[in-house]
Amino acid sequence: MTVLPTLAFIVIVTTAMVILVFRDWRIIAGALALQYLAAFTLVTFSWPIGMAVIKLIVGWMATAALSLTFLRQPEPEFPSETTASLIFRALAGLVVILVIFILAPDLRANIFSRLDLVIVQGGLMLIGMALMQLGTNSNPYLTVISLLSFLSGFEIIHAGLELSTLLTGLLVIVNLGLALVGVYFITRTKDEPETISARDDA
Amino acid sequence: MRLSTPILWVILPLVIALIAVIFNHRRVFGVVLTSACAFLLSLFAMIFPESMALSIGPFNLIFDESLGILGREIIVAYEMLPFISFIFFMNGLWTLVSNIDGVPRLFRPISLLMTGLLTASLGVNPFLYAALFIEIAILASIPMLSPMSDEPHPGMLRYLALQTLALPLILLAGRLLTGVEILPPESPLVMQSALILGLGFAVWLAVFPFHSWVSMVSEHSNPLVTSFLLFILPVTILLFSLNFINRYSFLREAEVLYNTLRIIGTLMIVIGGVWTAIQDNLKRALGLSALTETGFALLAMGLAAQNGLSWLLMLFPARALGFWLWGFVLALIEGKTGSLEIQYVKGFARRYPILSIGLLLAQLSIAGLPLLAGFPVKISLLTAAFEINTHIGLWSFIGNLGLFLFTVRILAYLVAPEMAELPTRWFLSEEKHEYIPILITLLILLLLGLFPHTFLGNILKTLTAFGQLQ
Repeated sequence: MTVLPTLAFIVIVTTAMVILVFRDWRIIAGALALQYLAAFTLVTFSWPIGMAVIKLIVGWMATAALSLTFLRQPEPEFPSETTASLIFRALAGLVVILVIFILAPDLRANIFSRLDLVIVQGGLMLIGMALMQLGTNSNPYLTVISLLSFLSGFEIIHAGLELSTLLTGLLVIVNLGLALVGVYFITRTKDEPETISARDDA
Repeated sequence: MRLSTPILWVILPLVIALIAVIFNHRRVFGVVLTSACAFLLSLFAMIFPESMALSIGPFNLIFDESLGILGREIIVAYEMLPFISFIFFMNGLWTLVSNIDGVPRLFRPISLLMTGLLTASLGVNPFLYAALFIEIAILASIPMLSPMSDEPHPGMLRYLALQTLALPLILLAGRLLTGVEILPPESPLVMQSALILGLGFAVWLAVFPFHSWVSMVSEHSNPLVTSFLLFILPVTILLFSLNFINRYSFLREAEVLYNTLRIIGTLMIVIGGVWTAIQDNLKRALGLSALTETGFALLAMGLAAQNGLSWLLMLFPARALGFWLWGFVLALIEGKTGSLEIQYVKGFARRYPILSIGLLLAQLSIAGLPLLAGFPVKISLLTAAFEINTHIGLWSFIGNLGLFLFTVRILAYLVAPEMAELPTRWFLSEEKHEYIPILITLLILLLLGLFPHTFLGNILKTLTAFGQLQ
């Protein structure tokens, strides 16, 4: 019983690091899909599988929507990077991991006493890594991926605090909406700025 | 026949917005559909009987105020109708003038969608779930702020990121607050919960240091769209925040909360005012002045014991009309000059005097010039602030001067001759559909300034929805 959450936690740490360090959308999309699987595993310890699986499906749908949009893009979005920047982000990620390991037991004891430590650590790890990612890039795709990870981390923790169908439904809309915003940002048309013109009829 | 009020003020606008999205290429149809829907819903909310029963010809309609969704409910209570009427009316005004150059086609359906979602956020039970409706409204606002033809700029990403980060903070704080109600006030968990809640609202309301997206988004988006966003989001979030003070007695009775609100409000007024005064871009100034307005709203909440919550509600219509006029005029000016950098409006008043007057008076109304809509509330707030704490009163006054100074700078540019050697002839170039809305709005701003209680009294009824705050 303790192996599964530990394994899920390890997957979360690894995938969060991969998303933070690498810039290739294929690697990031694969890591995000795995991350949702791990998050689903942790949520099953708080919720019935039937409810928890919603988070997995929604996460994979969001990942698929973003990935399929990238597949249609003619040119790569991310410029090549120096090794130094990779190392910098990896070190930053390690610092986040260290901080979460230090903070999580206290937070669990004081605020989330109903939750297992591994659930608190898993949720906080995603939140911390996502915040680091948000702070170190200004790319629309990475911003949306970070926000999805951030929400995923929050949902792991919040699942242990409350079970509500409406809340789950609204979070589904938020996650899918975020993915659609990502798709919207990635897809750029060459249309002229909107003006009143002949093509707009009454 | 039995209906429910959420179907009318939440589901119906969403359906109409969907239809308007489908026909978004038909501009006039979109304008008529969305503005007619918004105005009718506003009118209906205004005349809706307290008995919740209506007779239309042979039909007897009985309304329930709640609608069950997935085990929870959305309630549109009679007490909230004045506010709902107000936001739908303003939505109607914004969509009515949206058929101008540069306004994204999706603005009309999205603005209606946002108004419907934000109405739902005010009535969802448990009220914490409002955070999710607000987040969905924020996500929906992205296409109107950043049209598909434009690269998403860093300000847009910052707006999206910060507003999304607020969602977990509010949900978590709400969950924690439920547990700390029974704890003594000195418990550390009480302070921790209040801090998380405060942080969530600070991020939502773009309180310093989470404010940077406001000026960036204003600079890159259409001013009519930005002015709508800077009106509807803060106003709804501020009203939603009253739920927390109403619900939790330890928050309501904590003097430290009101002190903090007064200090943060003053800080926002000063920051917004100073940065507005030194702006060289008219669109950025619009965004930064919204920070000052948020500051006044927080100051009003901090002065709750001095009737501040009534002033808070009375600030909303003045802010709404001022921002509507400001955004509308800026959108027209941008269409004519191509840019809203200050040097581009040099001599503009000589060709477009009514547009220029509209711009100046919109700014002055927001700033609180005597006789205009913002004045009665701002003078009451400043007086109360002086009485409570001279420093807060003084700094609020100084911060509020920022927009006055900016207006004086704009005035100097507007009336300056474009080139010194040219004759300084003045002439009217505006068309009827441009200057008539401006003149009507100026008249309303004047009436609001002269008879505030006559015209703003209705919105005060919203306070009856918050039983503990009256």
